Order: sequence, then C-alpha cells, then structure tokens
Amino acid sequence: MGILAEGLVIALLGLGALWGALQIPEPLPGEVGAGLFPLLISVALIVLGSARATSSLLQRAEAGAMPLRREILEVSGLALLSLVYWWAIGAFGYLLATAAAAPLALFAFGIRRPGALILSALLCPLIYHLVFFEALGVFPPYGEIFDLLDVLRGS
Amino acid sequence: MEIFAGLAFVLSDPSLLLAILLAAVVGMVVGATPGLTAAAAIAMLLPVTFYMEPLFALAFLYVIGKSGRYGGSIAAILFNTPGTAASAATQIDGYPLARRGRAGKALKVATVSSVIGDFMGDLMLIVGVGWIAALALKLGPPEYFAIYFAAFVVIGSVIGKSILKGLASAVLGMLVAMVGLDPISGEERFTYGSFELSNGIGLVPLMIGIFVLGEVFAQLSLRNRTVESLDSDEGDQRARNGLTWTEYRPCIPHALRGGFIGAGIGILPGLGSAIAAFISYGEGKRRAANPELWGKGALEGIAAPESANNAVSGPSMAPLLTLGIPGSTIGAILLGVFLIHGIQVGPTLFLTSKDLVYGLFAAGLIGILLYGLIGYFGAAYVGRLILRIPTKLLYPLIFLTAFVAAYAARGSMFDVLVMICAGILGWLMRAFEFNPAAFVIAFVLAGGAEETLRQALLMSDAGWGIFLERPFALGFLALGVLAVTLRIRGAVKRCVQPAS
Repeated sequence: MGILAEGLVIALLGLGALWGALQIPEPLPGEVGAGLFPLLISVALIVLGSARATSSLLQRAEAGAMPLRREILEVSGLALLSLVYWWAIGAFGYLLATAAAAPLALFAFGIRRPGALILSALLCPLIYHLVFFEALGVFPPYGEIFDLLDVLRGS
Repeated sequence: MEIFAGLAFVLSDPSLLLAILLAAVVGMVVGATPGLTAAAAIAMLLPVTFYMEPLFALAFLYVIGKSGRYGGSIAAILFNTPGTAASAATQIDGYPLARRGRAGKALKVATVSSVIGDFMGDLMLIVGVGWIAALALKLGPPEYFAIYFAAFVVIGSVIGKSILKGLASAVLGMLVAMVGLDPISGEERFTYGSFELSNGIGLVPLMIGIFVLGEVFAQLSLRNRTVESLDSDEGDQRARNGLTWTEYRPCIPHALRGGFIGAGIGILPGLGSAIAAFISYGEGKRRAANPELWGKGALEGIAAPESANNAVSGPSMAPLLTLGIPGSTIGAILLGVFLIHGIQVGPTLFLTSKDLVYGLFAAGLIGILLYGLIGYFGAAYVGRLILRIPTKLLYPLIFLTAFVAAYAARGSMFDVLVMICAGILGWLMRAFEFNPAAFVIAFVLAGGAEETLRQALLMSDAGWGIFLERPFALGFLALGVLAVTLRIRGAVKRCVQPAS
C-alpha cells in the first residue's frame, strides 16, 4: 500500500470517528462532555492521516510496506479459520469445534502426517478442556445447536 | 527496609519461589525462541493468573518479562536470530564468538552482564520509586494529563521507523479505548447499538489478539525458514567455553555503564530495551581499548548491550507503579493484572499495598538470581531444547491456546471475536510497519488521560489555559512537543543527507 493510501485510510478512520463523536449527546452546562476526548482523537487521526497522505507528495521514491500476495492469501485463510472456529464453538461447543480446528491449524502450518492430525483432533480438545474448564473452573462455552459435553455429562 | 521484609516474605513461601523458578525458565525459553516474545507469553498466561493471589500473579509475569529479555540473547548467540529486538546488539559480537566454537563463553558473558544490569536497574527502582511516588502525590489532574500527553507522544513518535505511523497507532489505540459507556456520564460512545460493545473492548482479548494471534499470523509465512544453529558445549569445545575472572574483568566497566544507560532509558516511557542496548553498544565501542575487535567477537561487545537491555526492566516499572502509566508493553499487561485484582495503581499504591509492591520487587531480585544461575549453567541446553521444538507444531498450539485464553478472561465469546479482530489488526500493523506496542499502551492509558483532562478542565477557571498556568504540566507538554520536534528533525536530516 502506498503512502498516499495509508494516509487516506487513517484520515477516513478519523472521519468515521468524528461522525461517531458528534453523535454523543452534548453535556449539561458546566460539565465537560463525554464527546470531548473522542472528538480530539478523531481530529488527531484526520490530521495525522492528512499529513501522511501529504508526505507522499514529498517522498515519491519511498514505497510503503506491502506484504506479499502469498502471505496475504495464507493469513486470510488462517483468519477465515479463526472466524469459522469462533462460530463453531458457539454452535457446537468447545470440544467438537476444537477437534475440527486443531488438525486444520496444524495443516495450515505444514503438518501433513494423518496420524498427527488425528491425534491433535483427539488430544487438543481433551487437554484444553481439562486445563481450562476443569482445573481452572472456567465455565465452558455452550453449543447452541449441539454440544458434545452435554452428551458426555449425560444431560 | 521494606525490601528486606519483602525478601523474607518471598523466601518463606515455597510455592511462590517455585512460581518464580518456573517463570524464570518459561521466560528464558520463550525469549530464546525466535518469533516468540515475553509480552506474547505474558498476554496468553494472563487469564491463568486470574485464579492466583495478586503477588503470585504479578511476580510470575514480572519474572517472565525479565527472564524473557535475557533469553533473547541465547537465540542471538546460538541461532544468529535475535529472540528479542534488544538482543540484536548482542548478536553482533555473540554470533562471531559462537562461530569460533566459543558459544558457551559468549553465553556466560551475556548471563553475567544481564544479571549485573538487571540488579542495577532493580536497585535503582527500589531506591528511587518511593521518591517518585511521594512527588506524584503532590500532582493534580493538569499535571497528570500533561504526563499522559507526553507519554502518548513519546511512545508514538520514538518507537518505530515512521513518526506519523507511530502516532497514528497510538491515537488508534485511544480511539478503540473510547468504545463503550462513558464512565462518568454513562453516555454510549461508538457502540452503534451493540450491547456487547457497550461493555467496552476488553484489555486481555485485545492484547492476546495483537501480541499472540497477530504473531501467529506473521509466523505463518515464515514456517518453512530454517534456523542456523551452532552447538556450544560439546566435547573438546568444553575447555574453550569456560569464563575466567581475567576474561570477564575488562567487561565490568562496560556492564556497569550499560546498567546506568539502561536504567536511565528504562524510566522514560516507550524507549525500551532495544534503544538502550544499541546506545550502550555504541558508547562501549567508542570508549573501548580494542574497538577494532568489536563486531568480530569481543566479549565486551556482549557485556555492554546485554547489561543495558536488562537494566531497563526495573526502572520501566517506575512510571507504572507511581503514576499508573506503563512505559512498556509488559508494563501495560502488568497494569491489567493490577486492575483485574482490584488494585489501584498510582502514588497511593505505596500507601495501600506497600507489602505487595516490595514483595514484587523481592520476587524480581530472586528471579534475576534464578535466571542467572540457570542461564550460566544451562543456557546451551535451553538452546538445544528450542531447536527440538518444531515451529510447525508450536504455532498451531499457540493459535488454539489464544482462543481459550481470550474466552477464559471473562467467559465471553464476544471477547474471542475481539481477539480475532485484534489479531488481524495486529498482523496488518506489523505488515504495514505501524506500531502495535504504541497501540496497546495508548489503549491502556486513554481512560486515565480522558479522566484527568476532564477533571483539569472542570477545576479550571481559565479553560485550557490551566495547562499553561502550572509549570510542571507545561514542562511535560513541552517535553512531548520536544520529542516530536527532535524526531522530525532527525528524519528531515536523514532525508536531506542522501540527496546531498
């Protein structure tokens, strides 16, 4: 992404924030409103974004940092897996979702041995469940559609 | 005197000592693993510490941070890959020594110098922190806001390559902190009608996302790289890897000077270990009797940066403990621990929780001793252990742990979603050379900055003029402006030089 584009993105974020800050109700007389600080932040973002965009005119030779196309694709894949895993926990509970996500995560990082993938599908949910939901006493996330934990606990 | 009571308390609690020992080992392994940082490990372990006593939790994470700084030198010397940014300076002389079959000697110099620097930093913290806290008690909201302003500007403008990107990262962090209900009036801000957003963005999922998941995303494309490694203590090399007093004596002035440089830089928010290490290296080389050997495997070239790198650790806690302003990412995470345990950080901390603070300092001193002993006798084994951990297995496990850790913080699936979004943001910030550390520190500081600004304006008859009427506040505002001006001047000089 070029310097100009970076500056424009920052300035646009600032404009969005400015719009949000202006939605905050006005304070009562004699009070300092809840919108003052967000307003200052929004203006700062717009100024910084504009300055970055303007600097592109002065620094034509300098290119902004840009990740490789392959890197973007790989990270997009893992980000998608993250979102699907998050959804699956809410739909099918922690155990099933992790049993599916663990081998996929290993696969994404280059592990191809079927034995290792199957083992991760069995061991990861078990170990994380025992550590966090049994030993530390955290209440496990409930699966809205189906939860294996209900079956295992016989409820 | 309180520190002796703290030491007695820590030494009399075997479980606390065990936690410190475990933290020393975990920090060293994490620091020595290329791509993993102590901040990421601490962020991931943060939810686990909810179930611990406050001193236990703080000591555990604080010592991981200390040991992690030192652990970076192991990777720098053995793998030619700095485990942390600060240990890149150690690599300059450490790796050439390792190539000559003297990795063990280099590791021992790094360990002794780290321990010297870290002890110096912690002693300065213990001696000076009370004075700063007493001074801080006399400050009002205008002064506090000015300090926050200076911290934002220094953190945003000093770290990283681009001033504008650094400042934009800090301002974005502040913007994200504004999401939720206003703590004073209860007005909704940037919630867009979402109930989950009205509770605000949680610190723990945000940090896990930025530091852990963001790093996992970044490591995905590096998964096939090979780490160059040199073995150290084997067979006939054993004799060449011992460290004698005669060999270390010339390093002592460099280690001591590095300790002072690191401690001085550590107290300033945002500057961090890397800057301290490189300044100490440069200063050491300038004053060295053998500057021509620096860069080719001089032991002094390891002692100077390693001491400065670790001396930052203690003093960087001073602004956190006395003003509630974290000067580093690890400080920001520790602030989260204090808040989670309901402990108000700031000058009153020394009145309300003196035992806790000095217990933490004592744990830090014991932690230094422990990582020093483990490092001196076992750093080479830690290096070998890390080479045996397959990154193809490590990062997927970190990926899965990040989800359950983010959920465990508040038992909220929304927090997991926040963590994913923060992870993507963290990766984007790394990829486009923005500054994730400035983002997180600004996120943590924003609430306090807003509160003090509003208090200052409420107590003022002159509106914004109150900041000009109070000399201390004016001084800190000027410091912020000066930091940006100097950085811009430096950038302009760099732009002009190649052209001329």
